Amino acid sequence: MPGVTITGLTKRFGDVAAVDGLDLTVRPGELVAMLGPSGCGKTTTLRLVAGFMAPDAGEIRVGDRVLSSPGGVIPPERRRMAMIFQSYALWPHMTVAQNVAYGLRFAKTPRAERSGRVDEMLRAVQLGGYGTRYPGELSGGQQQRVAVARALVVEPEILLLDEPLSNLDASLREEMRFEIRRLHERFGITTLYVTHDQAEAMVISDRAAVIRNGRMEQVGAPDELFERPRTRFVAEFIGKTNLIDAVADGPGSVARGRLRLRVAADGLTPGTPAVVSIRPHLIALRPRAEARTSPAGANPLAGTVLRASYLGDTVDYQVALEESDIVLRVTSPTPARARAGDPVSVTVPADACVLLPAAD
Amino acid sequence: MAEASASLRPGRLEGLDRAAPVWLLAAAALVMLILLPMGWLAYISVSGPRGLTLAHYGRVLGDPPLQKALWNTVVLAFWSGVVALAIGAPMAWLSARTDLPGRRVIQSLIMASFVTPPFLGAFAWVMLAGPNAGYLNQLYRGLTGGEAPLLNIFSMPGLIFVVAIYTFPYVYIMIANTLGLIASDLEEAAAILGAGRLQVARTITLPMVLPAVLSGFILAVLQALALFGSPAILALPAGFHTVTTQMWSFFQYPPRAELAAAFSIPLLLATALLLLLQKKLLGRRGYAAVGGKGGQRRTIRLGPWRYPALVGCLAVLACAVFLPYGILLKAAFARAWAQPLTPANFTLENWSFTFLHDATRSAIVNTLELGVLTACVGAGLATLLAYVTNRRLIVGHQVLGFLAVAPVVIPGVVLAVALFVAYTRPPFLLYGTLWILFIAYLTKEMPVGYSQADATMRGIHPELEEAGRILGAGRLRVLREITAPLARSGIIATWCFVFIGVIRELSASIILFTPNTKVISVVIFDLKEEGQFGAIAVLGVFMLVMTFATVALMQALLGRDVLGARPSGSSG
Repeated sequence: MPGVTITGLTKRFGDVAAVDGLDLTVRPGELVAMLGPSGCGKTTTLRLVAGFMAPDAGEIRVGDRVLSSPGGVIPPERRRMAMIFQSYALWPHMTVAQNVAYGLRFAKTPRAERSGRVDEMLRAVQLGGYGTRYPGELSGGQQQRVAVARALVVEPEILLLDEPLSNLDASLREEMRFEIRRLHERFGITTLYVTHDQAEAMVISDRAAVIRNGRMEQVGAPDELFERPRTRFVAEFIGKTNLIDAVADGPGSVARGRLRLRVAADGLTPGTPAVVSIRPHLIALRPRAEARTSPAGANPLAGTVLRASYLGDTVDYQVALEESDIVLRVTSPTPARARAGDPVSVTVPADACVLLPAAD
Repeated sequence: MAEASASLRPGRLEGLDRAAPVWLLAAAALVMLILLPMGWLAYISVSGPRGLTLAHYGRVLGDPPLQKALWNTVVLAFWSGVVALAIGAPMAWLSARTDLPGRRVIQSLIMASFVTPPFLGAFAWVMLAGPNAGYLNQLYRGLTGGEAPLLNIFSMPGLIFVVAIYTFPYVYIMIANTLGLIASDLEEAAAILGAGRLQVARTITLPMVLPAVLSGFILAVLQALALFGSPAILALPAGFHTVTTQMWSFFQYPPRAELAAAFSIPLLLATALLLLLQKKLLGRRGYAAVGGKGGQRRTIRLGPWRYPALVGCLAVLACAVFLPYGILLKAAFARAWAQPLTPANFTLENWSFTFLHDATRSAIVNTLELGVLTACVGAGLATLLAYVTNRRLIVGHQVLGFLAVAPVVIPGVVLAVALFVAYTRPPFLLYGTLWILFIAYLTKEMPVGYSQADATMRGIHPELEEAGRILGAGRLRVLREITAPLARSGIIATWCFVFIGVIRELSASIILFTPNTKVISVVIFDLKEEGQFGAIAVLGVFMLVMTFATVALMQALLGRDVLGARPSGSSG
């Protein structure tokens, strides 16, 4: 099972570079999600990997074969890949079984074996017995599973998925996320998965690559991206966060106006600008009257609740800090401990204050 | 899975591979069909015995009779457009927005009017409203006991009337389709604020439909400009020419191609300008874009106006369909068409004459051969071109798309002159053979064919093909196994459109034919000289039967209405 290596990939449409010097390595058997807002170049990258377009610069390798470069492209039918499209692209004039069996002809599977493998794969996606139906007779979720079966049955070296869940409704989407992850764990195919939904990427992938304007922002395991974002964009794109622009005023602290924060760093040069990212669920909130002494290394702050939104399992607070212009977003489990207008004390642990590069 | 070794192949654009020669061949065919003849036309119009000259233009534009012909054409085109609009717009509104009874029947009858060759309608109206023997005049004389006829179809008003009743379907289609896009809630918002039915129609619906209305008017004018048959039948006996009949007269022996060429260019420019205007009105999308999300449509209740409206519509359709078809059928079976159809007058001689007489029979054979050949080649070429442009397979595919619909700018007579000039000299000596007619028909029907093929290809998502390729199928295999089956019904529709267009073609055939290469429409004109109205009626009925059979085939295979497709002029 080979991996995919993308180096310096560039693709221009007119004057605009949809993909701009992208580097990415997918290890053998890994599922990497390409995550980013629409127009960031993730689908273009996927289609370049599939061989539908030639790059303007850079290289795409599978294992040690060069598949795409500005000098030439191996056509899609010879790349030993399979793809699941956003629209599923099931052929309406063929039955489900014919759809799934299509690729087996080119995989040189003996005719006798084909129907057996088709049936087996249909059962694996829980569509056993649906072989004689036509795509038009199936629901969206069922069509999606046929598309998955059609891609997996040919045992591709690389599997490509282009936002396969966006056309499904929310509850089905959640179910299918787990389904796709389960199939990945069962078959272990090197997979590249494009999505704009960060929750989906977190559930499905081994590593996620955040892409912006055709370039790689950060790639890493979901927990790494969430807890240690390296750029402002990643911090804001993955989960919710508070971003504070401040100036370093000591090796391990920053200041903004009269607010001082101890942060998860040391060796800062006083005077340099610093951006701090604080995840709302890491902040502790209690009514001012119940304030206790905070542990060492924490930042005890005082403020007033502007708004408390009840979300069922959590409460979302907007807290205006004293001695500052900052409004902190705090997420705590229910029950709500304060209402709008109540004075509160918030405690921000130092290692919840992640430093980001100031220039972005 | 696939072969173990695969080498990198140069490909600046995706898809430029082994199939390239096929695409390039299609492109070359287009160049031959259009650029070559038009180039010759332009050249001939300015070439004289001593080099380039503007003398021909001077003669043509300075000659009083020719100026009169130009003016007559302007009058004809403008007024036919106005009348077509006056008929088509209300009918479109009634059909698309109200609870008019019998809408489906009316729509089918309008479709019948759409596919009726206008020159056949003109013949039928000669039999109905000719001052001497016309059926309606006879009835009138019988009723009033007088000598004077009620109607004289051999006049400018008569010509305008006949042209309008066969061009109003273009207006109807354009407006009905647009009205179909406007959601009721836009109008309901006005109604809630207190506007009455007519006010809503006037202040809300009308402005939104205006681009389509103007565009429909332009389309009708364009059709009227290019007609030859109706002016030849109705204007010449009345003693006036239009541009098309004048061009035809330039080709009566000896042919004066340079004059015809010089006369063509203004006509071409006028058509091009009008089409440009129409395109601007419709914007890039090719239909009038309207606001709103296009949701549910609530029909307007006509109340006591239902039956008067229905009677109005049926009156129009009587003029376009019932009366002409009736008189044609009568003449086909009558010994003397002007006499009542008594058992003594009934005969099948006209039929045996037409199908056994050499000249007519060979014309029927020629027409069918050319129809089938042009439809097959045309549908194939159009589909190939539509595929190439939709999938962006070669550099300059936009030019290809433009060239494919460019012939809509060229009126039939002008095309014929251009082809005459290009192909009556070496190396392509095609004049006098059926091939020159084939080229003329292929070129003339390409816009309609391409529009339909383009719509077909747009309906096939590229991902359906990409899915096949990533699983291992090459481009040509994907075409064969995935694209072709999905495009099949669209390709058949294209075939049918081209076939119908070819069998009724007149304005180019009348210039390019020779005694051995006549088609039905030309023979009908011959028979007119001989006064053989019975045979004309038989040929006319035959033509209509073939047309309706093709339409029925198309509807049976595709399950949809011909009127759902866009007419050739609107693709711009």
